[in-house]
Amino acid sequence: VTQYLIRRFLQGLLTLLAISVVVFGLASAYPGGIMSAYEDNPDMRAEDLARLRAKYGLDDPVPVRYFKWLGNVLSGDLGTSFVSKQPVIEEIGQRLPNTLLLMGVALIVTLLIAVPLGVISALRQYSALDTGLTALAFAGNSLPVFWFGLLLIIVFHVRLGWFPGSGMTTLGQPFSLADLAWHMVLPVTMLALVTAAGYMRYMRSSMLDVKNQDYMRTARAKGLAERAVNMRHGLRNALIPLVTLLAFEIPALFGGALYTETIFAWPGMGRLFYERAIKGDIPMTMALVLIFSALTIIAMFLADVVYTLLDPRIKLDKART
Amino acid sequence: MLLRKSLALLLAVMVLTLAGCTAAPAAPAAPAGATEAEATAAPAAEGETAAQPAGEPVAGGTVVVGSPQEPDVLNPLLSLSSIADAIGSFVVEGLVQVDDQGNYIPVLAAELPTMSDDGLTLTYTIKPDVKFSNGDPLTCADVVYTWEAILSDLSQASTSGYSSIDSIDCPDDLTVVVNFAEVYAPYLRLFSYILPQAAGDPAALDTWDYNRNPIGTGPWMLSDWQSGNFIEFVPNPNFREAGKPYLEKLIVQILPSREVGLQLIGTGEIQALWDITEADFPALDALAAQGVTYAGAQTGENELLLFNFGDPAVDAPADVTANPHPILSDLRVRQAIQYAINKQEIVDALLYGNVKVGTTVLPNGTFACPQDPSEFSVEQANALLDEAGWTVGADGVREKDGQKLELKITTTSGNLLREQTQQVIAEMLKPVGISLVIENVPSDVLFAAWDANGLRKHGQFDILLYTTGPFLDPDSHLYGNYHSASIPTAENEGSGSNYSRYTNTDVDGWIDEAAAITDVEQRRELYCQVAAQINEDLPRLFLYERLLLTAYNDRIQNFKVSPGPSDFTFQSENWWLKP
Repeated sequence: VTQYLIRRFLQGLLTLLAISVVVFGLASAYPGGIMSAYEDNPDMRAEDLARLRAKYGLDDPVPVRYFKWLGNVLSGDLGTSFVSKQPVIEEIGQRLPNTLLLMGVALIVTLLIAVPLGVISALRQYSALDTGLTALAFAGNSLPVFWFGLLLIIVFHVRLGWFPGSGMTTLGQPFSLADLAWHMVLPVTMLALVTAAGYMRYMRSSMLDVKNQDYMRTARAKGLAERAVNMRHGLRNALIPLVTLLAFEIPALFGGALYTETIFAWPGMGRLFYERAIKGDIPMTMALVLIFSALTIIAMFLADVVYTLLDPRIKLDKART
Repeated sequence: MLLRKSLALLLAVMVLTLAGCTAAPAAPAAPAGATEAEATAAPAAEGETAAQPAGEPVAGGTVVVGSPQEPDVLNPLLSLSSIADAIGSFVVEGLVQVDDQGNYIPVLAAELPTMSDDGLTLTYTIKPDVKFSNGDPLTCADVVYTWEAILSDLSQASTSGYSSIDSIDCPDDLTVVVNFAEVYAPYLRLFSYILPQAAGDPAALDTWDYNRNPIGTGPWMLSDWQSGNFIEFVPNPNFREAGKPYLEKLIVQILPSREVGLQLIGTGEIQALWDITEADFPALDALAAQGVTYAGAQTGENELLLFNFGDPAVDAPADVTANPHPILSDLRVRQAIQYAINKQEIVDALLYGNVKVGTTVLPNGTFACPQDPSEFSVEQANALLDEAGWTVGADGVREKDGQKLELKITTTSGNLLREQTQQVIAEMLKPVGISLVIENVPSDVLFAAWDANGLRKHGQFDILLYTTGPFLDPDSHLYGNYHSASIPTAENEGSGSNYSRYTNTDVDGWIDEAAAITDVEQRRELYCQVAAQINEDLPRLFLYERLLLTAYNDRIQNFKVSPGPSDFTFQSENWWLKP
């Protein structure tokens, strides 16, 4: 097992390195970049532009820049943002709690909707309820996310005036938890309803798989009540695939949701990444790419581990050969 | 990029539909104005606000301004984004600034500075008893410090003009004597911001606390900045005008897009929205019932067509007489295009008649040089093209020596107003036998730098549609855009913005001459000759004059926009909320 862990770790590192090379190359080759804002200003003298290029370290060829960056990262320094002049880590630290809050709450709500509905749907397979829920799930899955978000704003903010349409808190007021919760209603609804649709389908098919297993028949034969059979033996096993799926949600938990953050003016990681990528803020872009990639790799690893823990039939070593 | 543009477009459509829906009186019910109502004395007067005269300023209240962009830093030495300059102006002031008409006015200086006859000695007198928000008095030493900081190694500010200064003397605390090593004609623009010595050591500029919490003499102090969320300001207790600012609090909310902002200003969640454009006139029109109006300032910029004199097949030709554009190098073709375009119709149809047609490179400010509007005449256009040897072919498109009179027009993709403008122009050119092919690219590509193979820099286009113009003092704009030394080539590493590759030795001479003197009258005459010559030679064709716009709720009094760096924050100490 240790050998396996070491192998996975090295694989992960290599993947990260490859990603960083590709992204750094792309980001540096993209037209525009940090200098274009300055070059367009007729008051900037040639001397000013040269001084700036040197300050941003843009005089070196791209490979040299990459290795300088890599050296700093390896010594634990993710750099300073070209745009805000703040250490990249500090700025991410400001945004991360907002994203974790929004995505975390949305995930919980998603599961609270998806798991019970998926189970009911499976237990009542082919019933009117099942058909209805399935239809709803497909509708939810095919909703264009930002269109749905705008619809929520138009109906519940603009027309009805029930919920605020932007930001995390009412500006100019002292902070209150109720106010924050109030601001979360619409973005969480947007995220949860759309993702819940997918999860519900997973839950349903997984529950259907389990329903006809031998151990379920055994449990019933033991004389257990139907409810206990379904919950204790059925649900527990049916949740395994869901847990793996959840592991893949970890990167999203940190990465935020660009559309939701954009529509509801939520100051999260998705917007940070997007805004800085367009401005040519290479240190920030690279740091975020690195973090997201690392999280994805860790999440995949966790999914494998959790899977073996939950299902003793699967062995790590065998699974890998 | 494309994704964002299409998203923005969709949002825009949604907002328009939405604005149409909410014209019904139900909408203002949303009580988001609570932020400001709690502080004002008489929120009950809601119904009769329109009938009341402007009256005496009322103290208190909060204004939330929405901004689709977040300032990078609020230190003028590090930032070049216009939103940072604007928001920074809540706190940071200069010796002079630009008022809403485009003229320089004194701020921390008692009056505009005086220049010696030889154009080398400039004298400012500082207002007495001005204090920074940290309590330090403003003295000549701060001006010297600011100058040195601008020229320091880590500074990202333009050193134009400051590098021409030889020394600054301080005969006393309130007198600043600037000694120039060489004549710097646009000297009025200097010292539009002053940093206190307490800001820090310029050698550590990037890590100053000042960058995100500036210390200034202005009416406001920064009290909180939540990245991506909001920036909050409270009154500066040391502000020199007693009783001002009238407002109790000022908040800038960072919004993901202008479209979202237009929704929020309709529901009253924000009271002003920065950076709307002429394309938003229809949306604003629909929000008029909610008390939304706009303030605009002429920026001196024109939406324009830029003609390429060089052969687009040749990479950045230095000499266009050797590599002329096969069609556009002929003046008669350019004149024909100008005759064929009905500018007033574009303004009326697409801009609701809210802007003026373009006539001159110098439309406003101290150096304004009005020119006669171009004539609209299909006959003249046809006559010129006939004369130039272009004959109408079977498909209605003119041709000469087997070549069709077909031109590409390029602008930033995803900009609805510009796309509509292109289509209208293409329709207008059809009757005279010119075929206009629309070929747009994302703005990053169009405006890309020389090193990034920018098509504008390398001359790989026929006609460009975008906006540019002189910013107050025409010196740098005219030199950078019309002087032959500013043609981007491999030799000068692509510096300069003379993308037409236009060369006129008279124009070069007048621009150089005006840059060497400081007398405003003489400079105006020289620049006016340049402006007239540009209209003769037509490297660019001015369609309409651009405005700098900010939408606001008409409860805010004294809301003005300056074409200078302060933008919508101009004299924000005078803002107050009508109860």
